[in-house]
Amino acid sequence: MLDVAGLRKVYEGQGHRVEAIADLTFRVGTGEFACLVGPSGCGKTTLLRCLAGLLAPTAGMVRVDGVPVAGPPPELAVVFQEYGRSLFPWLRVRENVELPLRAKGLPKARRQSIVDDALAAVGLADAGRAYPWQLSGGMQQRVAIARAVGYHPRVLLMDEPFAAVDAQTRADLEDLIRDVWRRLSVTLLFVTHDIDEAVYLGQRVIVLSAAPSTVDADLAVDLPDERDQLSTRADPRFTDLRTQVWSRIKRTTALEASP
Amino acid sequence: MIVRRTVALLGLPAVLVAAWWVASAGSTDFYRPPLARILAAFRDTWFGRRLLDDVAPSLARLAVGYTVALCAGIALGVAIGASPRLRALTEPVLEFLRAIPPPVLVPVVILVAGIGDLMKVLVIVSGCLWPVLLNTVEGVRAIDPTLADTARVYHIGGTLRLRRLVLRAASPQIVTGARQALSIGIILMVISEMFAASSGLGFTVVQFQRSFAIPEMWSGVLLLGLLGVLLSLGFRAVEARVLGWYHGLRAVARGSR
Amino acid sequence: MKAWLGVLGLLVFGGVLEALPRLGLVPAGYLPPPSRIAVALADQAHQPTFWAALGDTLRTWLTGLAIAVAAGLACGVVIGSVPLLREATASTVEFLRPIPSVALIPLAVLLYGTGIRATLLLVVYAAFWQVLVQVLHGVGDVDPVARDTADSYRLGRLARMRYLVWPTALPYALTGVRLATSVALVLAVTGELVIGTPGLGREIAVAQSSGAVPAMYALVVVTGLLGVAANLVTRAAERRALVWHPAVRT
Repeated sequence: MLDVAGLRKVYEGQGHRVEAIADLTFRVGTGEFACLVGPSGCGKTTLLRCLAGLLAPTAGMVRVDGVPVAGPPPELAVVFQEYGRSLFPWLRVRENVELPLRAKGLPKARRQSIVDDALAAVGLADAGRAYPWQLSGGMQQRVAIARAVGYHPRVLLMDEPFAAVDAQTRADLEDLIRDVWRRLSVTLLFVTHDIDEAVYLGQRVIVLSAAPSTVDADLAVDLPDERDQLSTRADPRFTDLRTQVWSRIKRTTALEASP
Repeated sequence: MIVRRTVALLGLPAVLVAAWWVASAGSTDFYRPPLARILAAFRDTWFGRRLLDDVAPSLARLAVGYTVALCAGIALGVAIGASPRLRALTEPVLEFLRAIPPPVLVPVVILVAGIGDLMKVLVIVSGCLWPVLLNTVEGVRAIDPTLADTARVYHIGGTLRLRRLVLRAASPQIVTGARQALSIGIILMVISEMFAASSGLGFTVVQFQRSFAIPEMWSGVLLLGLLGVLLSLGFRAVEARVLGWYHGLRAVARGSR
Repeated sequence: MKAWLGVLGLLVFGGVLEALPRLGLVPAGYLPPPSRIAVALADQAHQPTFWAALGDTLRTWLTGLAIAVAAGLACGVVIGSVPLLREATASTVEFLRPIPSVALIPLAVLLYGTGIRATLLLVVYAAFWQVLVQVLHGVGDVDPVARDTADSYRLGRLARMRYLVWPTALPYALTGVRLATSVALVLAVTGELVIGTPGLGREIAVAQSSGAVPAMYALVVVTGLLGVAANLVTRAAERRALVWHPAVRT
């Protein structure tokens, strides 16, 4: 579904160039939940912007459903890290979720029922009349998720969506996103710098090296499909996987530090 | 609590008006007539035919000129603000045009458009345009990149993007520009009539001064001041509607810092 | 790159203005080509009356601005730091501020004739509110936590002014001064134009009524250049003050 081949991105500034992504190749199958982790500053956000068609790569190609990406592809949604800045502060929660549906040209009644369902799915059925900035950070991110859910994408990209919320809210949102993924049967690529989160959420963890980044490891997460914040995280297999990812990342940063 | 707030709101104005009333009560100074006579002159002068003949046309010209400047300023501002190249190209020219004190345009426009209604409206447009235009450019330029990305990802384009993203995101700056433009518009309304006209509010007030109809002149000054205050109150009511979200957002941001 | 585009923009603008009358699209009597305006400007530069008028405008403008800034700062700090005073004057300030200063023109003429004082009255009235309102905002914006800290350390009145109120209010005050500077220029020229106080505004009116069209445009350009200079100076001052200052406005 999501096909990345030989992707490379170099930022050319005046007199200096920064190579953010050296050479990336991976693919995410239809309906798969893949997590992407890497040391901080490894070009995760650059990669995500290339995948979303917001940034043109220097070389290589991204394909969504076989179609080369040149601009934001249809049926692809993104949940950004900065929830406070990706929601329209002058629109109420309902209107925020509804706006992409207006752009799709859906009739009003249809839009209303989709918005109702999407808000209910993230547990915000009663907050539709509020403005986003009247809500807590976690609730704002739920609105952003509801907007993506209502859009009914086939591919959903999430860029460190829970990096700025507190631990308890984060756990709730993680379970919410597993739930959404199963219900929508969407292809999900989840970018994070949190190793535990990656292992807990994904069916697969793709580990990136430090910038200029390449794929360092690609691990299958063979945990049971039903996950639970307490028992899954206590599972020896979970600990084992997270140690593997951890040592991988440690190694790439150590290589970086001693050239 | 209510008593206290009422006193705070009306106390000082009441004291000032009373002081004026008392101090001027027995005044025989020709230039400073008693407030009672000014108020009587106000009633006799402005509640009658003058309201239709002088006040209404002045305000109509202001309304037309201001509206044209607002529409043109926002349209041009959105176009220029959306393109970095166009912005760089036009910036020095716009900075210069904005810096010209608007009143000097009165003689220039008279040259081109005579001294009729068209001249007065054109003067108001040419003065009000720049603050709206430049503030709109600034507002459109500063649209949050994450919001712009969001709009792109969800394919929000065309007029939907214009109405729901661009104009709303720029609205705090547009309102600032519109507020500056309104006070410039009032100045230009008055002086275009003072400079060359045979009717209108500014003309009539100056006429009173020249013919030494002192209480009437004072009443005219009072009326101009009152209009300024009423227009600013009206503007605030509109602003509260348009920028409700912005003030709320700012209050939340301030509370949590 | 950006600067070059700006120069190009100015050239295109000048070129269009030059071409319009030369091609007969606009009568040269209404809009003389910039080359003729430039000649008229050079001509003005040789006349003592021009320099006298420029001097008069500068004097009215800067005197009025100085009075307004001093009065605005003083009143702002005093009213702003006394909550009772602030509350009692709020409605009066809100009422007096939007009164257009041109409404005072007949009064000014009556009281002071056509001299500099008539125009000064307009300039000071208009510019004063710009400074006062900004300073009031600034003094009111002092961080409550910092205020509590000052209280707990029992900072004296002067020290509190120096370390708490002043740094917070300074950026606001500078914004007020920037706004006041351009408003003061507008009103100085207005007074000269309408009342007849000596200065560039009066020269423009004279040039217009005597049909010296290029000279009129030349004088308009001069007032525009004064405005540009004022903007550049006040913005530079704002930037410098904000660089070394810890209080950065959001």
